[in-house]
Amino acid sequence: MPSVFEAEPLAIAQAAEMLGQASREGRRVSIERAGGELVVSTRYLNRLLEHEAGDLTVTVEAGIRLSALNERLAEHGQMLALDPPGDPTVGAAIAGDLFGPRAYRYGRVRDLVLGVTVVLADGTIANAGGKVVKNVAGYDLAKLFCGSHGRLGLIARASLRLHPRPEASRTLVVPVSTPDDVRTLVSTLIHSPLAPSAVDLVWSEEQSVLATLLEGRTATTSDQLERARALLGGQEDDDVWNEVAASQLGSRSRGAFPAGELAAALAELPEALIRIGPTCFAYLPQPYEQPWSALAERVRAQFDPAGTLA
Amino acid sequence: MRVEFVRDVEAAIGSAGVITEPEQLRTYECDGLTGHRVVPGLVTLPASTDEVQALVRLCARDGVPFVARGAGTGLSGGALPVAEGIVISLARMDRILEVDLESARVTAEPGVTNLAITEAVASHGFFYAPDPSSQQVCTIGGNVAENSGGAHCLKHGFTVNHVLEAEIVLPDGELVRLRAGDPGPDVLGAFVGSEGTLGIATEIVVRVLRRPETVRTLLAGFDSTDRAGAAVSGVIAAGILPAAIEMMDRLTIEAAEAAVHPGYPDVAAVLIVELDGLTEQVEHDLAAVEALCLEAGAAEIRVAADDAERALLWLGRRSAFAAMGRVSHDYYVQDGVVPRTRLPEVLRRIAELEREHGLRVGNVFHAGDGNLHPLVLYDAREEGQAERAQTLAVAILDACMDAGGSLTGEHGIGVDKACAMPSMFGPEDLEAMARLRRGFDPAGLANPGKVLPTPRLCGEVPGPYRAHPLEKAGLAERL
Repeated sequence: MPSVFEAEPLAIAQAAEMLGQASREGRRVSIERAGGELVVSTRYLNRLLEHEAGDLTVTVEAGIRLSALNERLAEHGQMLALDPPGDPTVGAAIAGDLFGPRAYRYGRVRDLVLGVTVVLADGTIANAGGKVVKNVAGYDLAKLFCGSHGRLGLIARASLRLHPRPEASRTLVVPVSTPDDVRTLVSTLIHSPLAPSAVDLVWSEEQSVLATLLEGRTATTSDQLERARALLGGQEDDDVWNEVAASQLGSRSRGAFPAGELAAALAELPEALIRIGPTCFAYLPQPYEQPWSALAERVRAQFDPAGTLA
Repeated sequence: MRVEFVRDVEAAIGSAGVITEPEQLRTYECDGLTGHRVVPGLVTLPASTDEVQALVRLCARDGVPFVARGAGTGLSGGALPVAEGIVISLARMDRILEVDLESARVTAEPGVTNLAITEAVASHGFFYAPDPSSQQVCTIGGNVAENSGGAHCLKHGFTVNHVLEAEIVLPDGELVRLRAGDPGPDVLGAFVGSEGTLGIATEIVVRVLRRPETVRTLLAGFDSTDRAGAAVSGVIAAGILPAAIEMMDRLTIEAAEAAVHPGYPDVAAVLIVELDGLTEQVEHDLAAVEALCLEAGAAEIRVAADDAERALLWLGRRSAFAAMGRVSHDYYVQDGVVPRTRLPEVLRRIAELEREHGLRVGNVFHAGDGNLHPLVLYDAREEGQAERAQTLAVAILDACMDAGGSLTGEHGIGVDKACAMPSMFGPEDLEAMARLRRGFDPAGLANPGKVLPTPRLCGEVPGPYRAHPLEKAGLAERL
């Protein structure tokens, strides 16, 4: 059994040297998790490099935690609209395609990342994308690295799109019991002019609820809440998001399906957290093997031909 | 084209879908970037995914390069043919396959126009958000290839934010389906905007949005672009996210007036700000935007009272490019991006460049996201003007790059800017991109010569490399 080294690079160039050397020596490397002979942590690659409030963009080293970043951004009334539970680092959120309830309005990490600097398995440092919100120059490798789970390279730095922090947040919780209930409510919501920030379904055998988050200016958000209640029924209850977070954190796998298949999917599922959208995401308590497609593996083989990254 | 190859192509899709006549082939010699022209060896018009697959398989078998083409409205030469290759036109694949409003999704063949998607769902109160100005004719397949934007992408996002699934014929002829929720890397996200170099989308699923309850549009006139720019900054700083913020300078205002008479005020710059959403929120934001424009020194403010007035405010903006034909014999549309906060200084730099090069530049742009569309006016009949215009257009891009921006916000790299890629990306960056391309297309048959610079296209010497914006923001640490 070869010994395991842990590395905590202080700079991107140092991370690149470490990966380059490991791959030359034929040692397996894992990023932010066990599995390799060299385990690389981005704990100290955690600086906020540039925040241009007027541009609603930020550039950070990928080891910064979302809470630390959002604390800094809040001083300017802004936020990174990415709210997965567990306070991951920006790099982990990108690599794991982690997102929370607000993805309904703001999209997933793929929709918020503008550019990345990555370190490939052989130690090459490569940039893609940029730091402006609109950019179609070259291939969007920043998106490719979303969900790459450390197998294409180490995400070292990222530029991200920001949003204004809403003045008020209110939550409507509607109890539901059958898949058809859910289907009717979701359809009503999608066809209404309401613009929620999040729509999550906590689905269980005991008590299922549909949680709708409404955000905006204080006055208009109260109006939205009243309109939503008139349309869907239910009560205001902000605590539901704790339950949602716990359910997501405790899940062992994630599946996706079109909203039109929601009722059919629920009929098969005893328990799940469902993030509603044109594509619904189901967080499930049981693990599932989710192999990459053959095409994704072909792309991976180009980025890490020696199979250095575990 | 080898006779056997042509024969096999005709056998695969029928001779009615194959163009071999030199006169007809010439119709396909360029896209919207008309300065580059190449007559293709063969043009094919497949009618189904199976036919596209059959064609691509033949290309893979014989090593023939292929170029996919939608409506040919692209502005960077992304659909420029290859002389020894074939064009695969998706024009005949123009059916909407499914409208699923329960999922807010529309499934379309690649030849469906952008606007036709909105038309398919409009009666139910939905719309397809990305709205490139060519939306009446440009196709969803082309939009996917270019990751098209439009005036309203400031709030609603680009094509990539709206594509949920795509069925793709890979360059070896294999058929795959990519979904936004697939496990592993976001291959679909990388495919969108790959300019036809990774394969051909034969079926596209997009999400459609509920039409907003209220839309309000405001026009504000300023006596300088600096003041208009300050108003844009004020709006963003106030935490307001309009659906669109467009700016036009004096030259483009005058051209638009001459062409379509939108009744714009006689000022140095106009802003068009559009807000959409829930009525209460929109009215609140509209009042705030008015106040911010006045604070920034607006000389005049008009709020469209109804749809007809809104259409008139937009008319001048939408016809700005075409209107340039009235004030200049020729013009070149540049497409560059700067961080929004750097707009005023880049506009001043463009004004300097106008004087240095002795040519006029009209500025019309998506001010909300810093996407400039400088129109370089010239007269190709005058000796040397076309070259000077080209030099000026490149100098504008340099100014965008110096400000930490991008070579292109929505028109794409194509052949137009492939050789400029080294000014934004270093050799390692480009090599990483090439790895993605090799993963999809090891034989290099899909739209060769586009996106990435090649020695054949650009010569052996790469252009001057500047630190990538991300690098500049961090440390100088290129190894």
